[in-house]
Amino acid sequence: MNSKTPVVIKRILIINSLLALLLLGTMFLGLSMGSTGGSMGDVWRSLKGEEGGGAMLNDIIWKIRFPRVILAALVGAALSVGGLVFQALLRNPLAEPYILGISGGAAIGAISGILMGLAPFPGVSLSAFCGSTATLVLILILSSGQAVMVKDALLLSGVMVNAFCTAVIMFLISMTQDSRLHTIMFWLMGDLSSVDLHQAGILALMLAPCFLVIFRLSNTMNLLLLGSDLAQTMGINVKVVILTLLVVTSFMVSATVSHCGLIGFVGLVIPHLLRLIFGPDHRILLPACILGGGAYMVICDLLARVLPAQGEMSAGVITAMIGAPLFIILLKRSGR
Amino acid sequence: MNNLYRNSRLTTGLLIALSILALPTFVVAEGRTVRDQLGRVVSIPLTPQRIIALAPSITEIIFALDQAHRLKGVTQYSDYPEAASILPKVGSYVHLDVEKIVALQPDLCIAVKDGNPLTVIHRLESLDIPVYAVDPRNLAAVMDTVTEIGAVLGSQDRAEEIVADMRRRIETVRTTVAKARRIPGVFFQIGIAPIVAVGTHTFIHELIVMAGGRNLTEGPLPYPRLSKEQVIGLAPDVFIITSMERGGVFDKVKAEWKRWPDMPAVKNDRIVLADSNLLDRASPRLVNGLELLARLIHPELFEAESKRGTP
Repeated sequence: MNSKTPVVIKRILIINSLLALLLLGTMFLGLSMGSTGGSMGDVWRSLKGEEGGGAMLNDIIWKIRFPRVILAALVGAALSVGGLVFQALLRNPLAEPYILGISGGAAIGAISGILMGLAPFPGVSLSAFCGSTATLVLILILSSGQAVMVKDALLLSGVMVNAFCTAVIMFLISMTQDSRLHTIMFWLMGDLSSVDLHQAGILALMLAPCFLVIFRLSNTMNLLLLGSDLAQTMGINVKVVILTLLVVTSFMVSATVSHCGLIGFVGLVIPHLLRLIFGPDHRILLPACILGGGAYMVICDLLARVLPAQGEMSAGVITAMIGAPLFIILLKRSGR
Repeated sequence: MNNLYRNSRLTTGLLIALSILALPTFVVAEGRTVRDQLGRVVSIPLTPQRIIALAPSITEIIFALDQAHRLKGVTQYSDYPEAASILPKVGSYVHLDVEKIVALQPDLCIAVKDGNPLTVIHRLESLDIPVYAVDPRNLAAVMDTVTEIGAVLGSQDRAEEIVADMRRRIETVRTTVAKARRIPGVFFQIGIAPIVAVGTHTFIHELIVMAGGRNLTEGPLPYPRLSKEQVIGLAPDVFIITSMERGGVFDKVKAEWKRWPDMPAVKNDRIVLADSNLLDRASPRLVNGLELLARLIHPELFEAESKRGTP
C-alpha cells in the first residue's frame, strides 16, 4: 500500500487540477451571466482589475453573482461528498443525503428554527443540525435490527423517514400562516439567491474542517468497502470511524440545508459520474467530488437563474430533474 | 496564477464583507437622515431621482403623488395605473431580483415591512442602496405612509391633498352606514380551494367593519382556512368573493354556494364579486374599496345614487 502512495498522490494532483480548471471555468460562466445579461469580456476585464464595465457592473459581478457562485460551489461540494460518504458507509449506490431523509430532517430543524425566530447563524444552523442528527439516529435505529448496517433496510427506512419529514414540513407550513410562508416555500426547493459573501464565508468555515476530516479517513473508507471484518483485522476501529463519518457528514449536510434549503440528488449524480471515470479510490474521489460537485452545482444554479424569462426558479428543480431519472436507472441496474 | 488570483479575490471579498458588517450605516454625501416607519435611521438623497418601488402598493402611491417620472423600477403585478406595467420589473415583492435592482442604479428603494424579506433589505443596504421601509398595516397607517413618502419625495402638498380626499370620502361612508338599521354578517372569501377568509388583522376586516358590516371570520389568524360546513354554519347575510383568482371562477363558485338555499346570502341573492386589488393593496385606492364594500353591504343606503354595486 505504502509503495503505491506516490502514484496515488500524482493521480490526485493530475485529476484534481483538471477538475479545478473545470470548476474555475464554470465559476467564470456563473459570473458572466445573470438576469441583467452580461458578457464574458466584462468579467475578464474585471478579473484583471480593470474597471471596464463601470462600478455598477463591478458591483453586480462581485457583490451579487460572486457570493452566489461561491455558495453554489460549496453546496455542490458538500452534497457530493455527503453522497460519496453515505454510499461508502452503507455500501449502497443509491444512498444520498436527500434520499435518506437527512436533508429533510435538517429542513425540519431549520424551519422550526426560523419559525421560533432564531438568528440564521448559529441558531438556525444548530436547529438544522439537531434535525439531521435526529433523522440519522432514527434511520440507524430503524435499520439496525441485525448488523451495524444492513443496506436495503437502511435505504427503505430512509425513504420512509423522508416521506415523514416531508409530511412534517407541510404540517409546519400549514400550521403557520404568516408572511414568512412564501419565503419558506421557495427556500424548500433550494434557494441560493439571498446569500451574501459573509454567509458564504461562514458556510466555507463550517465545511472546510469536515472536508479535511473526511479526506483523512478516505483511505479507511476504501478498506471499509472491502468489508468491516477485514478492516477490523487491519487495525481500524470500525465503529469509531463510521460514527465520526456519519456525524461529520450530517453536520455538513445540515449546514448546507440551513443555507439554501433542500437540493436533492447532487450526491447521487456526481459521485457516480466520477466513480465511473476515475475508479473507486476514495482518496481520489473525495477531492474530485469537492471540485466536480462544485462545478456541477454552479452550472445547475446558472440554469436556474437564466432559463426563466422572468424571475428565477429554484436550483433544486434543476438538480431533481437531472438526478431523479438517474436514480431510477441506477435502481433498475442494481436490481439485476 | 489564475488560482492564486482567485484566492486573493476571495480573501479580499471576505474582508470587504466583514468590514461592511462592522459599519452598519454608510453616510451618503449630500443627503439627509430620516427615520423610517420601522424606526430605522436611513440616509437618503435630498431629492431622490431614481426610485424603485418594492411593492405594487408603493408604485400606486408614487403614481398618486404624480412622481412617476422618478420611478425607475417596479415589482411584478404592479398593474395600476396602466403606465406602471411598462416599467422595468425587479422580481416579485416576496422574491426580489437584487441584480436587476442594482443594474437600475437606484438612489432610493421603498420597501414594505410585510412582504419584502428583511434579508434582501439588508442586502441592498450593504450595496450602498438606501432603503426606506414603510409599514401600512391599516387605513390610518396608509394615510401616514402617503404623507411620509410625500415628504421623502418632496411633494408634501400633493400628499396632503390625497390624504384630505381620503379622509373626506371615509367620513361620507361613515355617516352613510351609520344610518343602517342592522349590521349584516359578512363572509369574505379570498381563496377558492381551500376556502380562505380574512381574520382581524387585515385591511379587508377593517374595511368591512368601517363599511357597516360584521366580519364573520374575525380572529387572530390573518387568513383562516375554513371547511364548507363551517361557512354554512356561519350563515352569512352577505357573501363576498374576491377576484383574486381570475377567469370566470366567480360564476362557478357562486353556483356552488347556491346549492345551500337556506343560507341568508343565497336566499336574498347577496353573493357578490369584489375587485381584490382595491381591498388588499395599501394604496389610496383602499378608499375606493371601502366605498365598494359599503355599497355591497348596504345597497339600500346607496340606492339614491346610481346603483353600481356589482361591476
